[in-house]
Amino acid sequence: MSIFHKIAKRATAVALGAGLMVGAAHAADKKDIVLGGSIPLTGVFAFAGVGIHAGIQDAVKITNDNGGIEGHKLVYVPEDTAYKVDASVAAFNKITSQHDVNLYYGDSTAFSKTIAPELDRSGKMLMAGASFASELDDPKKYPNIFIPGPSYTDMVGILLEYIAKEKPGAKVGFVHSDTEFGRDPVEGAKASAKALGLDMNLVISTAPGGVDVSTEVLKMRRARPDFVIFHGYVLAPIPEFITQARSMGLKTKFMGTFWSMDNSMVGKMGDVADGFMGVMPYNYYYTTADNAPMLDKIRSMRNTYQSNAYMQGFFSTMMMAEAARNTVKAGKELNGANLKAGLQAIKDFDTGGVIGVPVSVKGNSVPVGRVYQYDAAKKQMVAASDWINLD
Amino acid sequence: MRIGTAKENYLHDAALFDTNVQRAWMVALAAALLVLPFISGQYIGYLVCLVLINIVSTTGLNILTGFTGLVSLGQAAFMGVGAYTVAILEINAGTPFLLNLLIAGGAASLVGVVVGLPSLRVKGLYLAIATIAASVILHFVFANWTSVTGGVSGLTMPPASIFGFELVQPNQVYWIIMPITVVMLFGAANLFRTRIGRAFIAIRDRDISAEVLGIRLLRYKLLSFAISSFYAGVAGGLWAYFFRVITPESFPLMMSIFFLAAIIVGGMGSILGGILGAVFMTMVPEILKMMVGVLSPIWPDAVAVMSPVRIIVFGGLIIFFLIFEPDGLAEIWRNIRRFFHLWPFRT
Repeated sequence: MSIFHKIAKRATAVALGAGLMVGAAHAADKKDIVLGGSIPLTGVFAFAGVGIHAGIQDAVKITNDNGGIEGHKLVYVPEDTAYKVDASVAAFNKITSQHDVNLYYGDSTAFSKTIAPELDRSGKMLMAGASFASELDDPKKYPNIFIPGPSYTDMVGILLEYIAKEKPGAKVGFVHSDTEFGRDPVEGAKASAKALGLDMNLVISTAPGGVDVSTEVLKMRRARPDFVIFHGYVLAPIPEFITQARSMGLKTKFMGTFWSMDNSMVGKMGDVADGFMGVMPYNYYYTTADNAPMLDKIRSMRNTYQSNAYMQGFFSTMMMAEAARNTVKAGKELNGANLKAGLQAIKDFDTGGVIGVPVSVKGNSVPVGRVYQYDAAKKQMVAASDWINLD
Repeated sequence: MRIGTAKENYLHDAALFDTNVQRAWMVALAAALLVLPFISGQYIGYLVCLVLINIVSTTGLNILTGFTGLVSLGQAAFMGVGAYTVAILEINAGTPFLLNLLIAGGAASLVGVVVGLPSLRVKGLYLAIATIAASVILHFVFANWTSVTGGVSGLTMPPASIFGFELVQPNQVYWIIMPITVVMLFGAANLFRTRIGRAFIAIRDRDISAEVLGIRLLRYKLLSFAISSFYAGVAGGLWAYFFRVITPESFPLMMSIFFLAAIIVGGMGSILGGILGAVFMTMVPEILKMMVGVLSPIWPDAVAVMSPVRIIVFGGLIIFFLIFEPDGLAEIWRNIRRFFHLWPFRT
């Protein structure tokens, strides 16, 4: 080997070594992207919080297994809140004082509203959460928050659009809990019904935790609606309503919104579950479709049924990661405004089957969903409509 | 061993701090309170503010329940009255925060007097139920008087400001919360050095005997409700400045139970008991969370697995302290002090 070759070989080795070192240093330079979470792992909302936590964990793991967000590792830092606003804010303060947080998951509407001024002030992060409150679907008022799915008004809008298609001019009843959650879509529902030519001839408000619904069912019998939409409940008093309505011979079809649409929860209604319908923004854990690699991945990671809360946590994380990816790709700093721009740049995003159609962000939400119906023989919610995208 | 502290007259006996050591500790505490926001982060600052607000409300309930013997489960609703009052004034009138807090206390006081009327006929569990009923009515008003309270969506208010400087962060709002808490604690402590305070205690111990002694039950029971609600109203006002979003769901019945638990765990009929109870009930869940957090590096899912265990431990701790010392944390504190006062002799 000539001296020239020896020199060239050594120079190549040195260059390669230097290149590797620079590469490693560059990788080490890539700061972690931190996703903080005020998660209700205990308390009245724990039934959902545990699922949300698992969904976020899995989405984070899949993201990191696939190289992170443009090389940045996504780190999830959760804290339990017991679904109390003061504990949620404490968790937020704790996490943000210990980490440079870019993304956040909040556990309630009240928390979102409480922390919104702080998000605006710090301008550091983008927040999603368990809340689908219509009030949050306002990019001007809540510039650093987004809803990982349709707002409650949009959910009811999707149901009404389905009803208008199935039975034009149908009589529709709306039963809601007398809470902020329950009252949220009432006015929007009335307006949508009117626009779609539906007759919303019955609006019933029930006391939170109320179980005696006989008076309300009598009102229902007098109004004889073709469809009744429940909102603001998880389970009770929906089964009581349906049982009593059936015993009075009403042929009404009953529907729910996201938080009363978990497959195992509907199954707990017993006999009256059969035929129960509702809107779901995501596919179910067990949905089989040709082009749904993410659902296959989820099933390979967890071999037992995962709730709709799991899907919500998973989808929220996917969207936040995608927003961060768009921001990094654009070479911008990871702050609230840029992350929101990255989120709003999401157009026709393929979720791998978590949602059955490509999704885009509109305003502060993703107004897409599908109507499902419970099949007691299969013990599953099955699709009753195609995906409905509200414009 | 503590010596040379013989109480030679009634004033000495009724003094809030009877030794130089106590006074020195109080100076140290005051210095710590002044330095705290400069050395603590936002998280600690937040917790300190939350503890202070809870101390004000717990002290108010202690005046009513611990010192006067009238059980109330309406403290959260009274806080709600104060919080809404402050928010409405801040949004619509823009009046100074100190005036807003005083009006909030006054408004809650008036509501408290009305709610306290049944106390003239009933007491114990019956009165507790009456206050729950009042709390439900107030909650209904918060949720349905939409033009004033914003209905179920509630109110979002601007921050408090001093000379145009907005107090947004916990370490800034602290400068409102801390001095007011200190003033209200001294007010409560001094209340029981007056005829009014002693009348409350007499009513608690035996209301018929108190009446025989010339204490007018109507006046003093309602006064106790008024003072207690004033504390709750101010605490609610501070809460409003701290969180700046008030909804009907901000002040649930569970919050009233929280305050009742705080005075029971801390020690009923003792100002120190109210303070210790509020600190215990607010901080122990956070400390348990921190302990779970320590496990996270070696056990990544410790937060999810240990959270329910944490709640059980918190409940267990409350039961343990109540069995170990039924008179509350204040009595444990007094026992510790007594030990050092008499050392090397045994109590």
